Amino acid sequence: MNCEEAIKLMNGYLDGELDPITNQAIEKHLCECHNCDQAYKTQRSLISAIGNAAPYYKVPAGLRERIRSSLREETEGEPMRNGVPGAQVMFHKRDPETRSMLSEIPWNWLGLAAAIILAAIIAFNVLPRAQRGGPDQFLATQLIASHVRSLMANHLTDVASSDQHTVKPWLDAKLDFAPAVVDLSEKGFPLIGGRLDYLDNRPVAALIYQRRKHFINLFVWPAGSDAAEATKAMTRQGYQLFHWIDSDFNYWAVSDINEKELQEFKQLFEEQIPRH
Amino acid sequence: MLDPQDRIRFEQLVLPHLNSAANLARWMLRNRDDSDDVVQEATLRAYRFFGQFHGGDARAWLLQIVRNTCYTWLGKNRPSELMTEFDEEVHQRPAANPEILATQSDERQQLMRALESLSPRFREVLVLRELEGCSYKEIGEITGIPIGTVMSTLSRARERLRQVLIGANGAAAKGVS
Repeated sequence: MNCEEAIKLMNGYLDGELDPITNQAIEKHLCECHNCDQAYKTQRSLISAIGNAAPYYKVPAGLRERIRSSLREETEGEPMRNGVPGAQVMFHKRDPETRSMLSEIPWNWLGLAAAIILAAIIAFNVLPRAQRGGPDQFLATQLIASHVRSLMANHLTDVASSDQHTVKPWLDAKLDFAPAVVDLSEKGFPLIGGRLDYLDNRPVAALIYQRRKHFINLFVWPAGSDAAEATKAMTRQGYQLFHWIDSDFNYWAVSDINEKELQEFKQLFEEQIPRH
Repeated sequence: MLDPQDRIRFEQLVLPHLNSAANLARWMLRNRDDSDDVVQEATLRAYRFFGQFHGGDARAWLLQIVRNTCYTWLGKNRPSELMTEFDEEVHQRPAANPEILATQSDERQQLMRALESLSPRFREVLVLRELEGCSYKEIGEITGIPIGTVMSTLSRARERLRQVLIGANGAAAKGVS
């Protein structure tokens, strides 16, 4: 085998897609030819770099659920909404289960009365208490609990480092998403480290920043497709929460510093994260 | 019309490959919301055509539908992407901001940008091969590339990626000095 042939078949060799005889011929050539062997090694490291470093995007839990419910609807032969078949129906995202449940209620008068009672029962008893106060209320409680817990024991950080290049790879390796990590030391909010947490039924990244003697937990997870709500600030149980989203992520900053400072933190963070 | 039995079969055979579907769509569209929509649409389409699936490689079958749905979507919403490689971003990114520079030196970010800058045709074979571990036969099935040319497409895609990475490194190094 000559160099030209070897280079031509190199990718097939690396991918294990050649027949045994051609494989042997390439191996023999690589032993004899330094240049081709170098080319082979370069290519091999490129391939492993892609496999190791490029993120793998798993299906978000919410999407999996949406797909399952749309399959159920499809099977039950629910009539297409607005008479539009196909694509339009595929894109609806709002809680199809509730809708199909309501559509099964018989709409005669007696039925209507029963339905009203049923709806009341569902609203006041069946739905989780937390949801009545709004999903934000529930989430806020979880966020504060998580923030407080992180400060109680020695468990503020899983990876303690002010170096974003240490914190980020650590988080990337443990999560199915890659949050942006920036250090804001120069702006008075030094990065302390990162931590894994579990919120809103999913693993999330917690970035810990310091403001004088106070800590800020910045919880980050991928933005849901329904995440259209604007930036908001709230005070709960004496803690400040600040929420915003960008094209990729949901951010919740929790701290006991004041609202103005938390807002400043948010602005600095946003200015520093790389755009893509 | 499919019955509940079909749905169970579909859930057992096809839904386990939703991660692969999501990964391919996300790399093809480079944006989570759009890829979520496309994955949902493609899965429903797969479900409607499930009667035509006669066993075999369910992942390749689903990915083929996802891939086609991605191309239809791109053709409708971002037709220019199907015609050009937009590597300008990687080559011409100003290196003035030290934060951005620091991020560029992050190998993962760099690789991700480089991959995203490739044309969809190159990107798809690389994602299928390096991230999904598809065989040439599967890549052929999914993309419609004749099996005889999968290897040469892959080698051109890898070569292009290598060039982009070298270009990006060159630019970053220039910015530092």
